[in-house]
Amino acid sequence: MRTSPLKEKLAAAGAVFRERHGVEVAAHFGDPAAECVAVREAAALTDFSFARLFTLPETPGIDYLDALVAGNVPKIRFGRVLHTFLADQAGRLAADCFVANNDQEFVFACESILPDAELEALLASAGVESQAKDLSADHVVLSLDGFKSWEIVKQIFGADVVGLPYLSIENYAFAGEPIRFIRAGKTSEFGYLLVAPVKIAGALFDTLQAAVAERGGRLAGVDAHDALRLEGRFFNIFQEGRRVGDPLPLGLQWMIDFEKENYSGCQAIKQRRAAGLKQKVIGFSAEAGCPALKCGAKIFHEGQPVGELVADCVSQVLHRPLALGVMPLELAFSGLSFRVGAPDGAVIRSISMPPIMPKSLTVRLDEM
Amino acid sequence: MPETTNQVILRRRQVIDTFKQELIRRLNLPYLPEDLHEDVSMLGSGLGLDSLDSLEVVLCVETCFKIKIPDENISVLRSINTVADFVIEQQDRAGGRA
Repeated sequence: MRTSPLKEKLAAAGAVFRERHGVEVAAHFGDPAAECVAVREAAALTDFSFARLFTLPETPGIDYLDALVAGNVPKIRFGRVLHTFLADQAGRLAADCFVANNDQEFVFACESILPDAELEALLASAGVESQAKDLSADHVVLSLDGFKSWEIVKQIFGADVVGLPYLSIENYAFAGEPIRFIRAGKTSEFGYLLVAPVKIAGALFDTLQAAVAERGGRLAGVDAHDALRLEGRFFNIFQEGRRVGDPLPLGLQWMIDFEKENYSGCQAIKQRRAAGLKQKVIGFSAEAGCPALKCGAKIFHEGQPVGELVADCVSQVLHRPLALGVMPLELAFSGLSFRVGAPDGAVIRSISMPPIMPKSLTVRLDEM
Repeated sequence: MPETTNQVILRRRQVIDTFKQELIRRLNLPYLPEDLHEDVSMLGSGLGLDSLDSLEVVLCVETCFKIKIPDENISVLRSINTVADFVIEQQDRAGGRA
């Protein structure tokens, strides 16, 4: 099982670890609800070293990556990041990906639900592996997220950093070493991914952790991020992505360039698109304390099972359970009432997502 | 009298279909209406609309539904579904419903 280079530091800070798709991750630090609140109100630091990370030279990397992912790689402007996915040949989701055009190189970051060996085989099928430099073993990925996280990166890296648009990449230095800095959070608050060499990882972690603590924030685990992504309706490959598999009912069409003919899984996805959607994943909410709002629970309409929950959390903003469920197209509308768990189970309501207004959207650039 | 499930669906579908078609036309989006999931974020991630695009979205709502989105109400633009919620709520108010 792959472990993080920061494992000792995380363990010393009270991390509770678990295995996720062949990688050991820090699930939480004792209080995942407080970790969620920290992101919404202040900032939180999370080890994202579970992500697979590669760099490729601009040429031929651009062609290799374009033959692999669903989005259009040649259209990525310098300094920008494409959010897309990697599918297997059957058009089933394998990884949630960022592809960044970063000065003579492409950075390819994957949140994968495939074991490392299977992911590498998929990359090799497009010729990527032979050209790619795998940074996963000698780099860490730190995710800094939260309403006040921009204050922290400004303090450490300078004022320029706050002007970076969402989905962009820039190179900075820390302790004399280069850091790839990606603005790309998935919590709906300000978010930054910092890719740093292992030799400065400990020092960077300590610096960020101290700055986070100064602002009332804390360390967070991946459990908090699962909840934050659902609350912000960011796609989560480890939850609904893994359970549904097909990108179309999940609403990931925006990650696809439908004019492309050659990416992994392209033909299968095109055929399903042409056949028309049959199901769609939508949001649900229940009254506080509803015990049945759990992944796998059946959704009932007029006494008949019609859908199933595929992700769940308790929102620390709304103080009630939220879920995503896969539903037949004719019932995939918000504003409807259903039963969950049994024909006479608790009432849940389909809702418009995202149900929260993040604080970060209220901050104006001239205030930063 | 409360709307039935079918009435809720029919009304919502009309609002969403109208809005999607106008959104695609105005912003020249490379998608079919059925490709646009109603919960996909319109700003930032998802459709990735910028501030100029968001003005087009506001105009889109005005054109389609004769409803103005106040400047301070940016939260309406989070997704197609949140726009639909706003339109339906405003229509209800104007019609004396709910």
